[in-house]
Amino acid sequence: MTQHLSEHDVRGIAEYTRIGLDDEEVKQMTVDLNAIIDSLAPITEYDLAGVEPTFHPIGDLSNVMREDVEREGFTQGVALENAPKQQDGCFLIPSILGEGGDR
Amino acid sequence: MKKLEEVFETWEAVIGLEIHAELTTLNTKMFCGCKLEFGAEPNTHTCPVCLGLPGALPVPNKAAIESIVLAGLATNCDIEKHSMFYRKNYMYPDMAKNFQTTQGPVAFCMRGHLDLDVDGPAARERYRLDDLGVGESDGNITRTEDGYVAHVGITRIHMEEDAGKMVHVGGGEGRIAGATHSLVDYNRAGTPLIELVTEPDLRTPEEARLFMQKLRQIYLAIGISDCSMEEGSLRCDGNVSLRRRGAKEFGTKTELKNMNSFKNLHDGLAYEICRQAEVLEEGGVIYQETRHWDPSAKRTIVMRVKETADDYRLFPEPDLAPYDLTDAFIERVRAKLPELPDQKARRFEEAFGLSAYDARHLVEHRETSRFFEACMEAAGGEAAKLAKPVANLIINDVTAYLNAEGVALAATPLSPARAVELVRLQASDAISSKQARQVFAAVLAEDKDPEAIVEERGMKQVSDTGAIEAVVAEVIAANPDEVARYKDGNTKVIGFFVGQCMKKMRGQGNPKVINELLARRLAE
Amino acid sequence: MTASQTFGSLSVRAIQAGLIAREFSAAEVARGTFERIGAADAQVHAFLETTEEAALEAAARVDAALAAGRGLCELGPLAGVPVAYKDNMNLAGTHTTCSSRMLESYVSPYTATCVARTLEAGALPVGKLNMDEFAFGSSTETSAFGPTRNPWDLGRVPGGSSGGSAAAVAAGLVPVTLGSDTGGSIRQPGSFCGIVAVKPTYGVVSRYGVVAFGSSLDQVGPFARTVEDAALTLNAIAGRDELDCTSQEVTVDFTANLAEGVRGMRIGVVPAFMDAAGLTPEVRDKVAEAAVKLEELGAELVEVELPNAQAAMSAYYVLGPCEAFSNLARFDSVRYGYCDPGHKDLGGQYEASRANGFGPEARRRIMLGSYLLSAGVYDTYYYPAQQVRTLITQDYARAFEQVDCILAPVAPRTAFRFGEIADPTEMYLSDMFTISINIAGNGGMSMPIGLGAETGMPVGAQLIAPAFRDKNMLRAAAALETVYGPAPVAPDFADGKAGE
Repeated sequence: MTQHLSEHDVRGIAEYTRIGLDDEEVKQMTVDLNAIIDSLAPITEYDLAGVEPTFHPIGDLSNVMREDVEREGFTQGVALENAPKQQDGCFLIPSILGEGGDR
Repeated sequence: MKKLEEVFETWEAVIGLEIHAELTTLNTKMFCGCKLEFGAEPNTHTCPVCLGLPGALPVPNKAAIESIVLAGLATNCDIEKHSMFYRKNYMYPDMAKNFQTTQGPVAFCMRGHLDLDVDGPAARERYRLDDLGVGESDGNITRTEDGYVAHVGITRIHMEEDAGKMVHVGGGEGRIAGATHSLVDYNRAGTPLIELVTEPDLRTPEEARLFMQKLRQIYLAIGISDCSMEEGSLRCDGNVSLRRRGAKEFGTKTELKNMNSFKNLHDGLAYEICRQAEVLEEGGVIYQETRHWDPSAKRTIVMRVKETADDYRLFPEPDLAPYDLTDAFIERVRAKLPELPDQKARRFEEAFGLSAYDARHLVEHRETSRFFEACMEAAGGEAAKLAKPVANLIINDVTAYLNAEGVALAATPLSPARAVELVRLQASDAISSKQARQVFAAVLAEDKDPEAIVEERGMKQVSDTGAIEAVVAEVIAANPDEVARYKDGNTKVIGFFVGQCMKKMRGQGNPKVINELLARRLAE
Repeated sequence: MTASQTFGSLSVRAIQAGLIAREFSAAEVARGTFERIGAADAQVHAFLETTEEAALEAAARVDAALAAGRGLCELGPLAGVPVAYKDNMNLAGTHTTCSSRMLESYVSPYTATCVARTLEAGALPVGKLNMDEFAFGSSTETSAFGPTRNPWDLGRVPGGSSGGSAAAVAAGLVPVTLGSDTGGSIRQPGSFCGIVAVKPTYGVVSRYGVVAFGSSLDQVGPFARTVEDAALTLNAIAGRDELDCTSQEVTVDFTANLAEGVRGMRIGVVPAFMDAAGLTPEVRDKVAEAAVKLEELGAELVEVELPNAQAAMSAYYVLGPCEAFSNLARFDSVRYGYCDPGHKDLGGQYEASRANGFGPEARRRIMLGSYLLSAGVYDTYYYPAQQVRTLITQDYARAFEQVDCILAPVAPRTAFRFGEIADPTEMYLSDMFTISINIAGNGGMSMPIGLGAETGMPVGAQLIAPAFRDKNMLRAAAALETVYGPAPVAPDFADGKAGE
């Protein structure tokens, strides 16, 4: 089996996808992912020169848009109904210091 | 730290801008029918789509696509018929889906440009401009009488959606640092946003500021955004790097954020250029990083260091059909294109004989250019004659008043008819320029016509030679000593005589006529 | 009607005939259905939630309308029919868990279009059905709330991911359910449970309000015990929805040509499928037999090639995880869903919530998708996978120049025993005959054709239609139904039995 991903790589992916894995889980995930990626080999062996990709399996459908007309949405109460934590009409989250957002 | 002009002796700055504009003039968001409204109660303009609820799907707002095509046409872009939306994947709590729907390698608008007129003090920021003769070009600039024209390339304008808003609580002044928690409001999430990216064609902070100003004028003219830098509907990030004069290679760039006014844009860039020069001259290294302009501390501070290029896992958005814009669609949008500020300025020059400078300043704001046009209509046959003084009144007095009072022109008692009447009174020598200023103030303060104010205050300037001659004779006769002094060569005494005449005429004598007559009589 | 528990084993037409004849009321249908679910679902575990209140309200409307003398056609094609939904479909006021801890306490504030359309058609919404977590699986074993059991053999899986949808119909709990199919998730459980299961062409049914797995692959469809019931349901839910850009106008009446028979139809058989390694003899024999039956009924059998179909598998396991990775990013503990308690920083809360809220298969697919889309890797897998999609679409287009529909196996085998397949890559093989249809986007369905000689478990034949010609496969299925009969309720649950 080819080693597509090291445990270090898997840790990086876990960090990017924000899934906390312990050492044991990283080890298992590395084995699983390498096995799956191995099984994807056929896709890399095709001669696809000149073949256009099909990103949308919808035939010739294009330019699907709506008119700029208001639609009734949620009240604040409904918007926050499923919020794990809320305060002052807003969703409440703990400190975001250290988040890598580009803001 | 060196001053900017000193830095420019050695270094050339390379600046590119990324300008985001919210399409605030639309009714609804980019991908759902929620109302666009600034300042509403938190989370009251939300739905499954903009809250990113499981199962919700986006549907693009046609008017937003029309707006971006309009923006592209107004900035000389090629409109790309075939394009797609993409998902830009990264997790951040103000982004409900944890991906931003944006465009990929092909945007709706590609390869545009704007030409900037840089003159006056702004032009002097350019290093050794005087090495160029009028009409000569160097790189992307061409020398003009009073400055130069800079040709600034626009890489693309793409369509995307804005994020929600966060308030950071528990730290100082709403900053992230020190905050114990944050509050998220998704009212803004999904607001249609267009991002314009320039080529790295700008060389001075003034050029950057002028580009931003010009773009704002265009966006306002085509009516796609309220362009409020204060409320964040127009935002600008700058990419800055330095290279030694003559070098071809680009230096390492930093990305500058929080330049939320024209002044901040200029000052932030100027500071960053000087900071980079200092680092480089001390043998240091510029890191590719995002920096935040702090206007109160007058410096930029590091927000985060980019060790590697961000990997946003961009891929075509499967929930949105691709675009295949038709010629008919593009032409329908083109038909909505109004006269743009540049075209309007050229028309003002040609139709009313205004100088390029006056014309450009009039079209800077839609309300002043509209006011000017209304004045010209009110002036009727005298339009060409009154154009210059009307333009002066608007550019100087009116603009100063509006800025000082912070009001809109339409909300003041100054109508185009009153403005024309005021200018006409002064042009016909009925009132002096000093009186004109008083009348202007009184019109605004008392909401009365200029004629009425002049009448009421008995302000009419006396230019009648006969009447003035009598006063002049009287004053000369009453002050033989001063006459003698004048004849001895002390010509400054004429001021005394003018003052005396004015006093006798209760300030209503035409000073020009008084001066002429005095000079004549005293020379006898 | 004596055995009030057996409404679920009636057809749509039988229920509606009973309502019109005043043999029973819609309220009785609703109550009887809940009794039946209460008695039998403990063995099957198809339901995650029952919605008595909503069903009785809908029933009251139907009864009031009937009392007012209005006809059923006025009330809608599903008037008085109990319908249940896969638990990835939003129904306002009910849970939508996707069988995940992540959404265990999530209550929908809105309703999916496909669900809304059944309600507009007069259906009685009876509840939400178990599935593989976020539809990641082929056995319903990855449900965080315990597996669903196959009514034909409670020691076997019902298939998946729409296992609850298939099992509920097979056990006679409800006549009609909705499921979703990303790589076979309607057809394979349909085959395992021996019922009619339709995945229409991509775009026939709106996806709005159905929690996305693979956005370019997902499609909603009905489960039923007769072809006509499936077609009636499809009529109710199909068509353009302004809330889903990929949905399309559908003007076809899917029931219109069910009685036409297959005389004159050209039906394709793919030799490479029939000879595929891994296809069990009992399934191959039954599908071959079905081909013969179709020929006997007057269809012309034509061999067709789908040369690129073997690449579908790897294309699917690229595209599915990539789209899923992005679709599942929204589960972040901020607006809804599982929020791991006690964290002082968002990063910690994110990582613990997503680690503990998602099961292992969901975590694997999210991480796989993230890897496959990363810079440099995108061009190795994702982009070629979309090119392969073009080739597969062309394969089908060429094949459908020669034939009106294609007959194939659904799954390589009948329902397996719990725990029999543990290796994820081996589990993926159960979709080998269904995946290429999702990649190309055309329609496919599973039609029960009797029991396998070896396992005695149901076998389904897959009928594959050209894009937006879903009526072709329904017509052929209806012809097979004349041979094999409508799908029976699983023997242990027939005649009101509650399972052995």
